[in-house]
Amino acid sequence: MELVKGNIFGFWAMVVVSICVVLVVYLTKNGKFLVKLRRIAGLEAIEEAIGRATEMGKPVHFSPGIADVTGDTAPQTFAALEVLTYVTTLSAKYNAELIVTIRMPNVFPLAQEVVRQGYLAAGKPDLFQEETVRFLSSEQFAYIAGVLGIFTRQRVAANLMIGAFWAESLLMAEGGSQVGAIQVAGTANMHQIPFFVAACDYTLIGEEIYAGGAYLSQDKVRLGSIAAQDYVKFALMASILVGAVMMTSGNDWLRVLFVK
Amino acid sequence: MRREIPLLITFLVGIIFLFGPITTGNIPVLEMSFRQIVSTYLSPWTTIITAFAIGLASINLLRLHGSYVARKRSGWINSAALVISMLFFTVARIIRELRPTDPEVVAFYGRIFDNIAAPLSGAMFAILAFYIASASYRAFRARSLEASVLLVAAIIVMLGAAPVGALIWDYFPSLQRWLLAVPNTAGQRAIIIGAAIGGFATSLRILFGLERGYLGGD
Repeated sequence: MELVKGNIFGFWAMVVVSICVVLVVYLTKNGKFLVKLRRIAGLEAIEEAIGRATEMGKPVHFSPGIADVTGDTAPQTFAALEVLTYVTTLSAKYNAELIVTIRMPNVFPLAQEVVRQGYLAAGKPDLFQEETVRFLSSEQFAYIAGVLGIFTRQRVAANLMIGAFWAESLLMAEGGSQVGAIQVAGTANMHQIPFFVAACDYTLIGEEIYAGGAYLSQDKVRLGSIAAQDYVKFALMASILVGAVMMTSGNDWLRVLFVK
Repeated sequence: MRREIPLLITFLVGIIFLFGPITTGNIPVLEMSFRQIVSTYLSPWTTIITAFAIGLASINLLRLHGSYVARKRSGWINSAALVISMLFFTVARIIRELRPTDPEVVAFYGRIFDNIAAPLSGAMFAILAFYIASASYRAFRARSLEASVLLVAAIIVMLGAAPVGALIWDYFPSLQRWLLAVPNTAGQRAIIIGAAIGGFATSLRILFGLERGYLGGD
């Protein structure tokens, strides 16, 4: 068994990054490394949004995006489920009605379990209803039509959208804006970020969605992983700088190494 | 065990899927490559699990809207339309599967998609044009320094891309190209690199069982 050509550097980089993540997580867990995350306005606004919905007596809508739990956008869905845990806890605390809409069938049982366990942990299992987590459609535009219908009929007061979104991002954000909902959105899908910035009150940009679970739970394991991410990012920035200097001076050693 | 078994399955399946595309040759002892394990064992399981998930989701949809119809809740007529169309499309697909060579059945199935599903999706997509206009109006109102920068950049890009821009000022097209190629690309790459590392770290946490939120909390 051997590595396919073109993946050799990627494989060893993955091993080094994995060791770095595990090491920083271990040190953070044992209190040998202190991690403090900067303030992320979008995540802090979630409580404000749910509180406002409670005061108005209107529901909170949450969408974990339209991606599945497989493929390269799966981490965004998992990051969204992390935030959903926090949203459920807050909804239980304030007795706010929560509506979670789902597009991918594979995400549906996961979201149901997250919300059910969240209510159970908050000591309010009776708040979980069959209509709390709703599968709408696996068709992208049928899903968004369903979401807009819920917005219009139930006049949601808070709209939280965290995960992977595509063309429906602006439809959902503008639909929420039209019913006067306070909106927090976040995605790592580059081309949808401008739409969220334009239409929502708060936007989580790119990697901020992955920090959501750590930021909201302040769990040491997750905080350690976020710190490790930053170290990897610094290493990458250094390699970009060194690579640019080397290529400018006619040396392509680093470029050749990266494509090995 | 309720936590450990799913975590073990996640780790093993994750490793196999991870090594599948980047390795060749057989795994010692097993005499099978990662790729073969994926195609022989894991892919059929993925299909089976997805089929069950679709069943579960469909039951949720039918029960929810069935109860709206039964209780004549406000807007129940929409729920009735959903239940009827869902059953109609299910029956149509079953007939299509049972008689795959019947040209009339194949044509009918194609027609209901071309004349019902496609126009409805197209209509939803078309709404985007109006929403882009209303969102742009709000975003481009110069209420802060950032919004003002956005407004100026947008005007330059629009004028640079439109033929009239070059007539107003020769430098608009080159300024537009520079804005897109330099500050815009730099910003995009920074976000993409950050998001990719974040996604990778999240995947690692799931693989090593450090992230358990998707199982319903810690």
